[in-house]
Amino acid sequence: MKSNIQEKEDRVRPDGLSKVTGALKYLTDLTFPNMLYAKILRSAYPHAKILSINTAEAEKLPGVASVITYKDVPGMNRFGIIIPDQPVLCEERVRTVGDAVAAVAATSYEIAEMALKLIQVEYEELPIIDTPEKGLEPNAIKLHPAGNICHRSSYINGDIEEAFKACEVIVEETYELPRQLHGYMETEGGVVVPQEDGGITVYAATQHGFKDRFQLSRILGIPEGMIRIFSSPMGGSFGGKDELNIQPYAALLALKTNCPVKIHNTRAESLRASLKRHPMKITAKTGTDRLGKILAHQVKIIADKGAYATLGPAVLDFAVEHAAGPYIIPNIETGGVSVFTNNGVTGEFRGFGGNQITFALEGQLDRLAAVLNMDPIELRQINLRNATDLGPLGHRIAPTDSAALVLKEIQRLYQKSNTPSKDSNWKRYGSGIAIAMHGGGLGFGRLDSAGGRIFLNKEGKIEISFGFEECGQGLLSVIENIAIEEIGCSAEDIQIVIGDTSVVPVSGSSTASRGTSIVWQSMQKMKEPFKNKLIQHASISLSIPAENLYLGPTGIWELGKEEGPCMTYKTCAEGLLDSTVLTSFHFPVTPDAVNGGHFLYSFGGVKVDVEVDILSGMVKVMSIDHVISAGPVVSPKGFRGQIEGGGVMSLGYTLMEEVKMMNSQYATQNFDTYLMPNIVDIPFDTNVYAIEELYEGDIYGPRGVGEIGTIAITPAIIKAIHDAIGCWVTKLPISSEDILEKAEARGMLSWI
Amino acid sequence: MDINNKVLDNPIDALMTITLTVNGEKIDIQTASTEKLVNILREQLNFVGTKISCGIGRCGACSVLIDNELVNACFVMAYQVNGKSITTIEGLGGVTVDEVQEAFLTEGGFQCGYCTSGMIMAVKYLLALNPNPSESDIKEALAGNLCRCTGYGGIIRSVQSLAAKKIGI
Ligand code: FES
Ligand code: FES
Repeated sequence: MKSNIQEKEDRVRPDGLSKVTGALKYLTDLTFPNMLYAKILRSAYPHAKILSINTAEAEKLPGVASVITYKDVPGMNRFGIIIPDQPVLCEERVRTVGDAVAAVAATSYEIAEMALKLIQVEYEELPIIDTPEKGLEPNAIKLHPAGNICHRSSYINGDIEEAFKACEVIVEETYELPRQLHGYMETEGGVVVPQEDGGITVYAATQHGFKDRFQLSRILGIPEGMIRIFSSPMGGSFGGKDELNIQPYAALLALKTNCPVKIHNTRAESLRASLKRHPMKITAKTGTDRLGKILAHQVKIIADKGAYATLGPAVLDFAVEHAAGPYIIPNIETGGVSVFTNNGVTGEFRGFGGNQITFALEGQLDRLAAVLNMDPIELRQINLRNATDLGPLGHRIAPTDSAALVLKEIQRLYQKSNTPSKDSNWKRYGSGIAIAMHGGGLGFGRLDSAGGRIFLNKEGKIEISFGFEECGQGLLSVIENIAIEEIGCSAEDIQIVIGDTSVVPVSGSSTASRGTSIVWQSMQKMKEPFKNKLIQHASISLSIPAENLYLGPTGIWELGKEEGPCMTYKTCAEGLLDSTVLTSFHFPVTPDAVNGGHFLYSFGGVKVDVEVDILSGMVKVMSIDHVISAGPVVSPKGFRGQIEGGGVMSLGYTLMEEVKMMNSQYATQNFDTYLMPNIVDIPFDTNVYAIEELYEGDIYGPRGVGEIGTIAITPAIIKAIHDAIGCWVTKLPISSEDILEKAEARGMLSWI
Repeated sequence: MDINNKVLDNPIDALMTITLTVNGEKIDIQTASTEKLVNILREQLNFVGTKISCGIGRCGACSVLIDNELVNACFVMAYQVNGKSITTIEGLGGVTVDEVQEAFLTEGGFQCGYCTSGMIMAVKYLLALNPNPSESDIKEALAGNLCRCTGYGGIIRSVQSLAAKKIGI
């Protein structure tokens, strides 16, 4: 396991000790006096009318404190981050088995569960739409008033028809991608505690506390100021806890019973109600001239939205934007449609549509290289963007030569690949590469507020706060490391405050690989004014010229006097009344008005070696090399962990993970049938190389790396399989039957 | 399958008194005989360092040692642990952290930390039996513990750093 990332200083992450000792209280670990336990009744059918709901029997069960239905929602009975189209509690219709119909608070989970069984719901089943194609049929039943199209997105440049005529080589393929589970180890949950003023305090994981506050205010019909959200720590999210999950039910029940109410989903409950990655079917037609220059690229995306929108439209926009990735293609036509179905809701998931579209794009390049009989790296080089080229939607982006740097490094790794040449009887070996470009931040036309706050608190600690959440990604380390670097203080001088809406500033969501960027940029804006305030104070009180003073460990130091600070932070705090520096700004965005277009991109490349067993059809990844260009590495262990972890998540996506639905009912309910990679499935030979230099003049600092490690791995594995057995896989997750059929079709099994 | 619901289907289960030793302390508790150990630990005894994730023995988040054997606490019931001695994550270390915990800290063997209690118990168990595990030993020993965050890299480095220390590399 190699890495070129230097361990600057071997600092343990701030939340480390509490995690390895088991002392950290996750929000699902909390209990409060008089706490009730709640369960949610989800729809029995994927699509039905509700004729009646009778809760009388359930209410009579001893131990039951309250049963709620849609009648108990005082405000707007809908949620959804952008488009609130999902009922909190369904009124007359259910559209998916994840829909909530009622909820019960009782003195124990067991009693609440019993009570759910006593609620009588009369349904009248309706025909289901279980594929997006069916949803598009002209006479399909409408799932929403405006029909079944949740969103369309497109990008057209040049003249695709003419361009195809000029092509020497054209390849066309349809790629199919599965419904992936986020698989965070901590299922959704938490406690809502009613307050004396009629407000609530919510302890439940989310990736954007302020957004939960806004949504809950709308549902509960109380002002945002009466809602306080504690949003982390949490046991993983990966996009999955971005949308509301159990919060509205616990909140409604807490207000109704005036008791704290806890909900902690079981894995099966979580699987039924949670978001998943969008299944997509992507058809791509791509043509080049004789020398491999891509002239035309036509892409059609059809996404299974499930029953409600959440961030689905943005995910589709992202996929459309990244259809050409880091390549310059003069004629392009990308069209996507996201279609409502009665399947489970799909939404935000690490990679955000980039995984699906890059699988198709890199697949096309590899197929073209094969037909042209060209080296796949060379084909990529010919078509690769230059530093100052426009972005993939023809919009201006921060200049970057990362694409070329990553490809060069991947080329070096690819060349020294040592594929075993002597095939055993039934094992075949191959290597593959792929690269990816990934936008950070929410994109043009989306409110993408950023900001932070720093001040010296009464205890003499430099208190730094952001409205972000620690999902496990290592945000606390990022804040600590950047603060130490920029301020000059030591870790002990810092107190980090995040994730409590009553005290933190607005920083926007902990999503879209934006956290690291925002922390760094905020610190650039805040550090000088903050330092100046402290130095001015010390200068006046100690009569030392300000230019001789600087901030260091434990306090303010005078140049040339190494024995200790001339004023400790504690003393400074006692005299300095106001040291607060606040910043708020918009995440850097392209100046061109293209919907969703990004400005800052990170780049990644992957090289893998695989072993294909043509007797069993099993594919094993033998090694993974990641090359990442996302600016300076802020937190070495965190960086490596994000890339390795993201890579393995996508290894699972490629080789084994799928939440199967049959007739819009989940066939998969827990980890016995949903297989995520365990330690046996991953190569110990995994290496991470960072390219830390930013392009000349780049003032935007380190980029977040939460997503970039998940993108290129899938197409690299597919290419490696092709290298091993000469056939292309088009449908994920790769099935051994598919491999066997392909091997057989190529006559590879003739020796059996 | 979701056996979380199994007990719920039959909530009126006979209560029994069992005696456990948890992290060295002897405790008598009244519980349904089929109550799962993970619930006893988390809800009755407030040892919430032991986590629950799948509830069906497939993820290892609830791993504890029962009489020094590694067991998924969601997979054993009250009557099965009567008289047994249980070690949870809270039972490791003391004034300072245990060496496995230390290795996880320095090697970055965790991110969200939700799998970490169980993972550390599994590593403890592995190293107790085999202080210098090979790659395949590590794979075999930790195959029952899922981690969604790290991709296992930091966990492998944690284990290997301990193995290396033991054999003085
Ligand atoms: S919770 Fe016990 S093994 Fe998953
Ligand atoms: S650290 Fe999050 S699941 Fe392992």
